[in-house]
Amino acid sequence: MTNDVVLTVTDMSKSFGVVRALKHVDFELRDGEIHGLIGENGSGKSTMTSIIAGSQPADSGTMLFQGAPWAPATVNESLANGIGMVVQESGTVPGITVAENLFLGETGQFTRFGIVDRRAMNKKASAALEAIGVEDLNPATPAGACDFQTRKLVELARVMMYEPKVVVIDETTTALAQDGRDLLYKAMDTHKTRGAVVFISHDLDEIMSVCDRLTVLRDGDIICTFDKDEFDEGAIRAAMIGRSMEGHYYREDNKATHHDEVWLSATGLNLENKLKDVSIEVRSGEIVGVGGLSHCGMHELGKALFGAAPLESGEVVSRGVKITNERRAVRNAFGYVSKDRDTESLSLTASIRDNIASAGLRLIGKGRAGLITKRAENAYVQTPIDQLEIKAPGAGTIVSTLSGGNKQKVVFGKWIACGTEVLILDCPTRGVDVGVKQAMYRLMTQLKDEGKAIVLISEEMTELMGMSDRLLIMKDGRVVREFERSADLNEMEIIECMI
Amino acid sequence: MHDLNPTDVNKETDVTVDTRDDAKTTATSTTKAETTTKADAKAASKARRGKLFADLAPLIGLAVLAIAFVLVGTSSGTNMGYAVETLINQSVIIIIIATGAIFIFAMGSFDISLGASTLVAAMVAGLVHNATGSLWLMLGAAILTAVATSLISATLAAVFNLPVFVTTVAMLSVLGAVAAALVQTTGGAQIRIDRAFSREYDTLAVKLIVAAVFLALCVFLFNYTRLGRVEKLVGGNPMTAKLTGVSMKLTAIAAFGIAGLGVGLGAFLTVLRTPTLTVTSASDIGMNILVAMVFGGMVISGGPRSRIYAAIIGGISMALLNQTMSIMLQGMAGGAGIAQMVRAVLFLAVVWLAASGFRTKVLPR
Repeated sequence: MTNDVVLTVTDMSKSFGVVRALKHVDFELRDGEIHGLIGENGSGKSTMTSIIAGSQPADSGTMLFQGAPWAPATVNESLANGIGMVVQESGTVPGITVAENLFLGETGQFTRFGIVDRRAMNKKASAALEAIGVEDLNPATPAGACDFQTRKLVELARVMMYEPKVVVIDETTTALAQDGRDLLYKAMDTHKTRGAVVFISHDLDEIMSVCDRLTVLRDGDIICTFDKDEFDEGAIRAAMIGRSMEGHYYREDNKATHHDEVWLSATGLNLENKLKDVSIEVRSGEIVGVGGLSHCGMHELGKALFGAAPLESGEVVSRGVKITNERRAVRNAFGYVSKDRDTESLSLTASIRDNIASAGLRLIGKGRAGLITKRAENAYVQTPIDQLEIKAPGAGTIVSTLSGGNKQKVVFGKWIACGTEVLILDCPTRGVDVGVKQAMYRLMTQLKDEGKAIVLISEEMTELMGMSDRLLIMKDGRVVREFERSADLNEMEIIECMI
Repeated sequence: MHDLNPTDVNKETDVTVDTRDDAKTTATSTTKAETTTKADAKAASKARRGKLFADLAPLIGLAVLAIAFVLVGTSSGTNMGYAVETLINQSVIIIIIATGAIFIFAMGSFDISLGASTLVAAMVAGLVHNATGSLWLMLGAAILTAVATSLISATLAAVFNLPVFVTTVAMLSVLGAVAAALVQTTGGAQIRIDRAFSREYDTLAVKLIVAAVFLALCVFLFNYTRLGRVEKLVGGNPMTAKLTGVSMKLTAIAAFGIAGLGVGLGAFLTVLRTPTLTVTSASDIGMNILVAMVFGGMVISGGPRSRIYAAIIGGISMALLNQTMSIMLQGMAGGAGIAQMVRAVLFLAVVWLAASGFRTKVLPR
């Protein structure tokens, strides 16, 4: 790392309606460094970097890039002139191939007499993917057929292909399994020899090990910047949160507990090549964790348990009722929190009120001949808003304006409000900060104590170990091992089952 | 790698640090707090103004068109009583059909066959009246025919797992052929009902009663029942709606059923208003409905911002525009063409403005 400043942000502010996302922030990025940005959801990390990368303009403030004024009007203009960004949510177009995504808007270079030379485009795409270490991906594959991790790596390859001076990686690692993370870290290390990286992550361990400097944001303010030799987990957490967090993060007990009644029973589930003869039982008051490497089938299992996957064979039964589709699942008090929050769990253009009420419309109209009044609806949604401490100006706030953590609280609120008894949670803490994570874990414990049955699917081993009564490890579509909660649980043994 | 049990996990991740008042924050905290409060209030006020304007824009448009209509009408010496009656006659059928169609549009779907469906339902109603002489059987025939055609589109889409829009395209062709076949049953080029009979019931009171009853039903269903909420949820994000337990097929069938009821009532009033029906009658209804809804502030992509009153405001706005234009362009060569062009330009302008507002709302944070 040199002390040459490659990018300067001065007095930058940005508001979205009533929400002030950035408040007069100043920021410096040095040549040759990996600079971490950390802060709670809604602290302004993504807003600042999206302005730097041309996604949106600032309301006020200035930027200097390599000594010259910097105000890109678009992401493409920014990328062409030296700053590229891999965004937090999916940035690929599903209906076109991986190669077409890589050269989106740039296919002219392969066009002769109006015809695109796909062979040349695919060859160049393969080279771009190999440059970041992705070697087994056919560039002719439609992006929509790739999993989330692969799509993120395609985005990374696209940005790196332009050889920008500055690369912004916005909370990408939450979508990546360890192999994907390793590729990303390697690409970042290589890149810092010729430029700088801004790296956003909620994973404190990761950001401390990867970054040379670290800036903490809170509520749209920059709180402080730490040099590598000043990194201290406690100090960083305190700066992030601005308050002390009391109590345990996960469950305090280390003994499996549950009631006797089986509330969810799945037998012999088979789904294409993703689930192979999977059977699982979940009892009232039990949290069953499901873990494994990406592609192990755990996410498909979550959907299958909710009746949302076209099973080849097998059945899911809850208290005598066969769960054959999502409608039947919801009618039998099932709830499902998807890994893809924005595309599968929320209506982003709707309000908090509309989203939370959506699963409980029958309850709101109950006793009123189906009549849904504003007053009844407001009363229905206010309880989960208060209980989950959703930060917003009001229940009418549009969900797309909320931070990731608050969006996830809305999803939880939707299922809690309607009295869900069997809750299937697929990566429920993906992309949320430590404060929200703690709130989610407390809520899960509370729901368990109330006798709800919970399936917790997660890629985070500590989360699974910290919360589950039983832990099922999946590999290649099968449940290969089951662990019971105990003080003797061994992480090494669990990971050995996974790989 | 090390051994880790649930209690260890907690120990490793326990957050026991105290709050640290960072020097940088403390130094400027008071000034920033004041600045923030003022800025927050300003931003809140700006957001409220923006939302209010977006909600009121269709009403402002309606008011402007009403003023223009009165000014142009009185300055040209037009009989304003007659002009208002024509205005209601023009707008009421559009309002009824568009109000029903809002249920389809709110789902982010589209029915291109509304005009053709209206024509066929009107023709069947005319034939039933000619055969029976009954007003009520005529009304029933119009409603049954329209609801049946709508439900066929929705059911075909459900059975073959196709977007409903696709089946309505097919239905457009089928209905065109059915209309031609119905006309041939009379042995001529038109279906005609007794003019004296149609005049008896083609009154302002009948139109207003039919419209009021249907609008009240739609407002109730759209704003105060699960059905309306679910339609908007599907329009906002179909995948989320599905994973919230919404049956997409039943929702589509319900939406098309209500739209069919609107088409049936519209067809009933059409045959009273235009007792001589040919294969080209009601040909512009489909397009007029779309334009009216956009004028009324309906979001083309549907979803949570869909408003039932868009059909009412839009229907009246379009009739006002048409009337004002026809008074202004009276006697002018190519006047009808000019009116159509003005309507097209306004349509594009309204869609562009609506889309601009939407883009700014979905920018990433």
